[in-house]
Amino acid sequence: MRAAMSADHSLSETPVPADTPRVSSTTQALYPSPSARDRRALLMRLLGTYGTIIVLASMLVIFSVLQPATFATIGNFRNIINDMAIGTIVAAGLTVPLVAGDFDLSIGYVASFSGLLVVGLLSSSGLPIPLAIVLVVGLGTIIGIVNGIVVSKIGVNAFIATLGTGTIVVGLNYAYSGGIPLQLTQSREFTNIAIGRIAGVPHLVIIMAVVLVLLWMILNRTVQGQHIKAIGVSPESARRAGVAVDRSRIVAFAIASTCAAIGGVLMASNLGSGQVTAGDGFMLTSFSAAFLGSAALREGQFHILGTLIGVLTVAVGNNGLAMIGAPIFTQFLFTGCLLVVAVALGGIGRRYGRG
Amino acid sequence: MAQAMLLSLRRISRSFGGIQALDNVSLDIAKGDVIGLVGDNGAGKSTLIKVLAGAHDPTSGDVILEGRPQKLSPPAEAQRLGIETVYQDLSLIGTFTAAENFFLGREIAIGRGPALLRWIRRKSMGDTAMRGLEELNIDIPGIRSKPVDRMSGGQRQLVAIARGAFWGHKLLLLDEPTAALGVRESREVLDLIKRLGAQGLTIVMVTHNLDHLWQVCNRVVVMRRGRKAADLASSATNMEDVVAYITGAKEPMTPRPATTEAGA
Repeated sequence: MRAAMSADHSLSETPVPADTPRVSSTTQALYPSPSARDRRALLMRLLGTYGTIIVLASMLVIFSVLQPATFATIGNFRNIINDMAIGTIVAAGLTVPLVAGDFDLSIGYVASFSGLLVVGLLSSSGLPIPLAIVLVVGLGTIIGIVNGIVVSKIGVNAFIATLGTGTIVVGLNYAYSGGIPLQLTQSREFTNIAIGRIAGVPHLVIIMAVVLVLLWMILNRTVQGQHIKAIGVSPESARRAGVAVDRSRIVAFAIASTCAAIGGVLMASNLGSGQVTAGDGFMLTSFSAAFLGSAALREGQFHILGTLIGVLTVAVGNNGLAMIGAPIFTQFLFTGCLLVVAVALGGIGRRYGRG
Repeated sequence: MAQAMLLSLRRISRSFGGIQALDNVSLDIAKGDVIGLVGDNGAGKSTLIKVLAGAHDPTSGDVILEGRPQKLSPPAEAQRLGIETVYQDLSLIGTFTAAENFFLGREIAIGRGPALLRWIRRKSMGDTAMRGLEELNIDIPGIRSKPVDRMSGGQRQLVAIARGAFWGHKLLLLDEPTAALGVRESREVLDLIKRLGAQGLTIVMVTHNLDHLWQVCNRVVVMRRGRKAADLASSATNMEDVVAYITGAKEPMTPRPATTEAGA
């Protein structure tokens, strides 16, 4: 084995000093040598590209073996898809600023406030349902634009800025509700938005699909999407090529916040009430999903399809744990571990992906 | 001087705080010139190229483009006027294909209005980039499909320069185009610059490598301490002289803007 390896080294056309930093793709493109290091890099690349899919597939196998009668059923998967629809909308929205290279920590709070506000508007002021929804989602867009302006024009670190705006949104939430859940006094029309079905397909799943397709098209088929992807790789190169960097970042934040508001409205419709903190958890699950998604198919790049796979991974895990009767705390352990694994896999994909 | 001046800098100064990066620099760039801009670190060549690129506004002095006074900043304005800059690194998006990089910021798209509603025409961008590169005799596989990250440093530089030449119909600014390249790759890049010069494109190239300069440039401009120390036809000078101007061993030539007054 040792001999074979050293033979490999002597066969490589150009001797590369052992301590040569792995800098550019040039080095690898010019000196392909099947050394142990390259094999390790290949393994890492595969892990960064298929890691999430491996995690998802193994969970499907394990839970199916453990609970064939309850987990591995069409009905259960229909439930999983339906339950993850709202989270997918929020996570897919978050994916857009992540592609642009920005974090948005305010999405969960925006979702909570949106759900509460839409119930409040419907119950107290008697606004027509479409108008109330447009107002609330519009407010979400505005919060996103504010995030984008604070981050790009004023230059506040996105992490801190969105933590700040998110906390302001929590403040607005408590100012509006007094910290007390709001009951929906309206008819069933509003709850039907989330609970209804068309031809047997839940509305939530249809809305999720529409949002996913729209976001995918924005990122992959429009000039704006091209610019968002470019600034995520190198804002300076993009700026020098004539890309309106600030505007692109603002649009990305606006999209994330809009999706969070849509998620909040659907959540309220699903619950039939406005809960003060019901959407807060979306922040963590969305980041888990997006990072898991970055280690699915694309070597550490965030993308919409990946995020869908990420949400599915989180949902299958939680559902499976519940099915095998694991105590509730294991779900938190699982989600936490998954987030760490997700970020690690995404990082591996990015580090070993190019070249 | 019978030649038509493409661009003239008249007594350009630029200071950053207390530091005088450019001090009364005048430079005439004739159509078809391929100018090598050299000088020690901090001599002002990079500030000069940034003034030409529109990235810095001069503190004082005038820029005359084709006979008319012209403001070059911001960089988008310089680009609009047909002045393109290829920066040392920071010019391509690694995950994008060469074709996508070609059109970054200037995508071919259906529809008008905000970028969110403009639909990218990938095929059309791919075709045009292919044609552009073919016209320059650049043969790189995977123009439409391969992220430029997966290309060699030389290929990336060829793509970046070709993009600059494609859009910069008046003036192409190159910042150390061969700095990070090996011998063979440098030669490919120099060949491309030579071809572009032969096609009549005006080029200003910052370089540290005098050997490379001599291979492609017809003029040498030496910067020293924010001033223009020498401005010579490369056929009328030699490397020792240029090095002497760079280090200050040789006194700067007449500090007045010689060429413009001679031309008048």
